[in-house]
Amino acid sequence: MFAPPSDTALESEFDCLMARAGLTIPPARRAGYLAAFADLRSQIALLHTTRSAAVEPSNVFRLVSPESTR
Amino acid sequence: MNPDQPSIAEMGRQLRAGTVTSLALTRDALARIEARDGALHAFILVTAERALADARQADSDLAAGHDHGPMHGIPFALKDIYDTAGIATTCHSKLRRHHVPEQDSVVAAHFAEGGAVLLGKLATHEFAIGGPSFDLPWPPSRNPWNTEHITGGSSSGSATAIASGMLRMATGSDTGGSIRGPAAWCGLAGIKPTYGRVSRRGVFPLSWTLDHCGPLARSVEDAAITLQVMAGHDKQDPASADVPVPDFRAGLVRGVAGLRIGIPRAFFAAAKMVTPEVLAAIDRAAHLLCDAGAKVEDVALPDYAIFAAAGRVIMLSEAFAIHRIDMQNRLLDYAEITSGRFVLGAVITGPDYVDALRARRELTDAVNAVLSSCDALLTASSLTTAPRFDAVPDALSSLSPMQTIPFNVTGHPAMSVPVGLAADGLPLSVQIAGRPFDEPTVLRIGRAIETLSGWENVPLPAG
Repeated sequence: MFAPPSDTALESEFDCLMARAGLTIPPARRAGYLAAFADLRSQIALLHTTRSAAVEPSNVFRLVSPESTR
Repeated sequence: MNPDQPSIAEMGRQLRAGTVTSLALTRDALARIEARDGALHAFILVTAERALADARQADSDLAAGHDHGPMHGIPFALKDIYDTAGIATTCHSKLRRHHVPEQDSVVAAHFAEGGAVLLGKLATHEFAIGGPSFDLPWPPSRNPWNTEHITGGSSSGSATAIASGMLRMATGSDTGGSIRGPAAWCGLAGIKPTYGRVSRRGVFPLSWTLDHCGPLARSVEDAAITLQVMAGHDKQDPASADVPVPDFRAGLVRGVAGLRIGIPRAFFAAAKMVTPEVLAAIDRAAHLLCDAGAKVEDVALPDYAIFAAAGRVIMLSEAFAIHRIDMQNRLLDYAEITSGRFVLGAVITGPDYVDALRARRELTDAVNAVLSSCDALLTASSLTTAPRFDAVPDALSSLSPMQTIPFNVTGHPAMSVPVGLAADGLPLSVQIAGRPFDEPTVLRIGRAIETLSGWENVPLPAG
């Protein structure tokens, strides 16, 4: 079950992710982006359901033989 | 000046009958742009000389018996993320202000081969995501129905240009609703065809697996004619589908008798933002279709929130992958809204993205299952009419008035079609979605709603 982190933990996580991505966030924008991060984090949690390993991602692809493209 | 121009089909008839020339149509369109665009900001660039040259060529070809098809001699414009050889393609961004492609996008080439007349490049939300924004080299376009209101995005200039009568159709792109949203809020027909129906090559990507190219148009018939020119297999676009292109106009007037249409009511009925007028508009469309012989019934799809989450995670991840280097080095050159959205792509992990792709497969299967027992879906395009510029919902929030992203996630064809005007004088629309590569049925239902609702007799707002 998704448990929202504390504000401090959320800020630390955000700062860490920004550093990992090589992004420098202007101080004036940080609060807005942080709020959006918290919102997105909740939305992502909706996708963390238990799925069978048989549920494959949509980008699994198939190759075709050269003959079939001629 | 009459705010409305003749339909594309009517212009075509007049051109072939010799009662009008492409040059006259083009001069009229340029005069409309001159008269209205100063207040509306639909265009980033008007290519008047190119347009006049295209028009002369179209007239010359037709006189010589060379008819290039349904868009021959018809003025049009391209959203400014479609590459145009020798003409700047800016993505409405400071970062690409001086970018001049060497080649046409495939769609631009199709229009050129089809004898259409390029009027210019149209405003967009920056990189098809960041708007409406006032911190860019060009202002955001305004809604012709009320200029204090936004058009929606990202194909904002396309919607403005058509709804103000500057032209009958324009191209858009749709990653989460960027064709259907502006079409809904500006009273237009806007179709996002099936993923793979129209080549994306030469169109600046926002999210490779969600991006769709398609038209916005004054009417469903205009949209069908335009899609005819845009569609087709492209071996060099890895998403392009090698499937036959049907005649999109052939079934437009067949009516809807016998069709089964499902309403995924849980998508919108209890949504936070939905207005009573939008609910009434959907009910009205359903009643009109019923009265015309369709069987309309509620259907169940997975929770809307899962579609929205999967779509947003995929979009933001792929967009950040595209913009990572510029975001690291030139973040302040993006509009604040754009950079705020791209930043969110940096917080999504690999497993989050894979979860979204796994959800996508399940969601696509679920929509296909419902469409195995009905011909199409009827749902909301938007939960509201167009908001005012000073009351735009938080651009970084997961809450959105748009209800369009499910069919970007699944790739099914979907269209916005207007059904009337709300009490505030702004257009109300509904959305039709259909089976993969069955745009003809989507267009047919859209045309029926347009006719039965009386929308086809609603004039454009006077300038």
